[in-house]
Formats: sequence, structure tokens, C-alpha cells
Amino acid sequence: MTLETTFVPLTVEGLPALAAAKKADGWRFVQILAVNTEEGIDLIYSFMKGNLLENCEIKAVQKDAVVPSITDQFLEAFVFENETHDLFGVNIQGIAIDFGGNFYALAQKEPMTIISPEQKAAREKARKVAEAKAAKEKATKAAAANAAYEAGHPTPKEPGEPIVPTGDDDAELKLAGADPEKVARARAAIAAKAKKAAEAEKDAALKEKLAGMDPEKAAKVRAAMEAKAAREAAAAQKEGE
Amino acid sequence: MGKATVIPFGPQHPVLPEPLHLDLVVEDETVIEAVPQIGFIHRGLEKLVETRDYNQFIYVAERICGICAFGHSMGYAETVERLMGVEIPERAEYLRVIWHELSRVHSHVLWMGLAADAFGYESLFMHCWRLRERVLDIFEKTTGGRVIFSVVKVGGVVRDIDDAMFAEIKRVLEGIKDDYRQLCNAFLKDSSVKNRTVGVGYISHEDALAMSMVGPFARASNVNNDARCLGNGGYGKLADFQPVMDAQGDCYARVKVRALEVLQSIDIIEEMIAKIPAGDIAVDVKGAPAAGAEEANVVEQPRGECYYYARGNGSKYLERMRMRTPTSQNLAGMATALAGCDLADVNMIVLTIDPCISCTER
Repeated sequence: MTLETTFVPLTVEGLPALAAAKKADGWRFVQILAVNTEEGIDLIYSFMKGNLLENCEIKAVQKDAVVPSITDQFLEAFVFENETHDLFGVNIQGIAIDFGGNFYALAQKEPMTIISPEQKAAREKARKVAEAKAAKEKATKAAAANAAYEAGHPTPKEPGEPIVPTGDDDAELKLAGADPEKVARARAAIAAKAKKAAEAEKDAALKEKLAGMDPEKAAKVRAAMEAKAAREAAAAQKEGE
Repeated sequence: MGKATVIPFGPQHPVLPEPLHLDLVVEDETVIEAVPQIGFIHRGLEKLVETRDYNQFIYVAERICGICAFGHSMGYAETVERLMGVEIPERAEYLRVIWHELSRVHSHVLWMGLAADAFGYESLFMHCWRLRERVLDIFEKTTGGRVIFSVVKVGGVVRDIDDAMFAEIKRVLEGIKDDYRQLCNAFLKDSSVKNRTVGVGYISHEDALAMSMVGPFARASNVNNDARCLGNGGYGKLADFQPVMDAQGDCYARVKVRALEVLQSIDIIEEMIAKIPAGDIAVDVKGAPAAGAEEANVVEQPRGECYYYARGNGSKYLERMRMRTPTSQNLAGMATALAGCDLADVNMIVLTIDPCISCTER
């Protein structure tokens, strides 16, 4: 047998009928508690039967609302009803043993309804965190939708320019949901490919330039370039050692 | 028939360890009606949850009561763990049960001493409290504290007990058992004790059920109500657990139930020591309870079932923490038991619910 805890909604109007039904059904009264919220006072009535712990929750009870007592069904609730009245200011009517606000000797009235600066700060922080989280989620969703749209609608090219598929955009889209290690490897491969293409383009431009030069001068330039390449190779070999 | 008179009883009274006030309506020497009142030592501890994060609040929870200190820290931690979906290591569950049952032994023996003092048996009171000191010594050796232990944390416990210490605990408990049986004989067989307890403060089984009574007070009226049966934490690992009950419903039955529960607790501790697995004693708990998340839980304290409720607000500070203690649940039963009793028996009846006003008012 394990404890099964449930939370069920309840209304002030439904409270007397619920108490009567619980009593008739052999449930045991456990407690009443109140929670001070910005919307009002939440009241929770707990009942137990066997291993079932049922918490019936009345949300946002207002200051001027009248809550009926359940001491006609469960006399032992008088302690909690007086307590809820004294600490939270809930107007509970018809308590069998009513202390009229003198159950607890308190320095100030309804002390549990005072929102301390710490609680206010905690609530503000929680609200800001929730807002930031929602905004981040919204931005992520918008970016994903944008990327999906762009993938389906390639950027229009200038008239006359041939459309050459690079495959990079597709690759970026694929990488978005892939394993981080794989992503790193794929990104390195793309960078290497781009570097190689740039070097090939540079070589082609140089060759074109040399073809238009004086043959003697071109031979000198070629020799200087070969010597430079040899020096770089030697330096690289030395570094490797 | 004499004229009805109202006699104020407490909050300052030699028999009361804590401030409880009763308005006793008496006719001659018979109590016609008793109206209980508390509220003299409300400290607002539940409000402190707004300024202490869920780890720090452990230290507040265990200061609710000096006798149930461990039970409150355990009940609070269990509730927050359920709220955050934390599973604690099995060894920590066993250690919690061992300390909790040791608390029950010291609480019941303390109460038996107070009861003996109430019916004028001073030497029995001294023997009870002498025995209790040996349990407090175990606490000191295993936790460093005799009253407030601070060994529970959200996610497990902060101290382990080694095998040598377990052997020492078993040896001390065996010694206590022998001495305790002699005390039980005095409580359950002595005619002067029986004169003060048998037939006094009777509560029928039906009344106990109707007033939702909890703890030994209810079990002495044959109500099968013990939160340990729910198998929370380490209690689920017990081979067989049957609550101690009695059908007599009077002060004698309540003394008997508590007396036998001490022996039952010692058996539970020995079983836990024999079965305790090796391993970690705590897990790291990170994050905070979600905003609006709520959880409720019940724990069997020495005085009876205690209800815990926690609600998160998305930060490390809980929005609300609530403890409903057994005494507040038993006040109506106590008033019923007092109606029709002899004025001289009031102190005995009040004591047999084992009232803890510090817990009740928090």
C-alpha cells in the first residue's frame, strides 16, 4: 500500500455537499490550509480514506466572500477554521466552537496575508524567468519556421546568372538537428572545401596574369614563387620535427 | 446537583509541559464540558519559508518541536523531494527510519515519565527519563546533537553510520529492552497506576473514527491508523508491519499502546540495521520546484500522523509550506474524553493525548 495524493478543484458553493458526501462515504478529515496568492486566498480541504489522500482546492477566495464551516460534519475542523480566520482573514461562518478572532494571540492582524519583500522579489524573479523562457521558446520556434521557409524557397538569383546549387544551405539545415561531434566534423570539411576552391581560383588568376607578361619576367616570377614554396615547405618540415 | 462553574485550566499548570488552556465547565467535581484554547506561542514558522530557501528551511522545520525534531525534518524533506521528483539513495531511507524510530522511543519514554509524574509516581518518572538518556546518547554519537540533529537534507542525509556504530546501537537497545520491560510491568500491572488510568477518559471506537483522531490516541480506541503502513521511504522495506492497537479506549489503553510501540520501534531499528544496504547517502539536488507545483504527504510522528504540504513558485523559495500536526487533530477528541470525567482526572486525560502545542501552533 502506497500513498496516493490527488488534488481536485472545488467551489465554495460545493463545500457543504462535499463535506457531507465525504462523511457519509467514511472519509477521514485531515486538515484545512490556506495559501495567500495575488488572486486571493486558496483553500485546501484534505480528506483521507485508506491510502488515498484527496486535497480539494478552492481557488482565489476573496476577502468579502463567506465560506461555510464544515464543523457540522467534522467537529475537529474547528481548530483549522479558527486558524484560517485568524491568520488569513477568511470569513468562515458557522464554526461550532468559534473564538471570534481570538484563537491565536497575534501581534498583527492576518499576518499570513502580508507579502514580504522577499516573497515579492521571489515572485518577480519567477515571473521574469517564465517570461524570458517563453520569449526564448517563441524566438526558437520563429527561427525554425524561417529556416524551413527559406529551405523551401531558394533566394532568387540575378537574371541571367546560372543557378549553381552549392549544397551548403541544405547542409546547414541538416546540421541544425545533428550530433554536435558530427556537426563539428562536417563544418571542418566544408571549411576545407571552401579553402581549396579559393586557392584554385587564386592559382587560375595568377596563371592568367603570367600569360600576359613578358616571358623573361614571367620566368623570374615563377622561379621566385617556386623558391618561396620550397622555403615554406622546409619551414613546415622543420616545425613538424 | 450543584451549580455549574467554569474553571480555567492552564496555560500555566504543573502538569502541562506546554501552554494549553481549557475552560472546564464543572458541576460539583464532574466536568460537564471542556473548551480547549491554544494560541499563546504562535511563532509564524510557516511564514519563514518565504525568506529561507528549500534547503535552509530544514533547520526551521526541525525547530518546530524539540521532541519530533527529526520527524519534522524528514517529513519536510520527503515532501520537497516528492515535489521535485527526487529519488534518494536506499541507504539514506534506511538511516532516516532508524533515526525516526529512535525519536519515537525517546518521545514515548519521555511521555511515560511525564505520565508517571502526573499520577504522582515520581520514582517511575525518574527511571523513564534515565532510560531516555541512553537513547539521547545514541543520537549524540551518530549525529552530534541530542535534541536537534540536522542530519536530514533534501536529497538524503548528511551523515552515515558505520558498522561499529550499528553494533553499538544494537548493544544499547538490547540493554534498554531489559530495563524497559521492568518499567512496562510497573505501568501495566501496578495497581496504583491502574487506579488512575483504567476506565478514565474513555473514547469509543465510533467516536474516534467520527473525530478523525490520529496516533496512539486513536489506536487505543481500536482505529487502524498508522501512516507507517503506507510504506513511505524505508518503511516500505519492512518485512511485516502491524500497528499496535487496543480496543479498551481509556487512559490505560493509551499507556499500553505507547508502551508496546517502544518495543516495536526497537524491533524496526534492529531489522533496518540488519538489512541496510551499502551505498551513497545523498544525491545532489539542483534546480527549484516549478511554479504552481504542489505536493502533500503524511508521516507518522511519535504523537500521530502529521500532514505536510508544499507549493513551489519557480524559485528556490517555496510559495507555501504547511505542517498539520497530530495534536491539532486530536483536540476535539480530547474535549470529548474530558466531558463527564472527574476533575482530578483532567490532567491524566490531557496527558494521554500527548499534546504538543509548539507543533500545533508553529
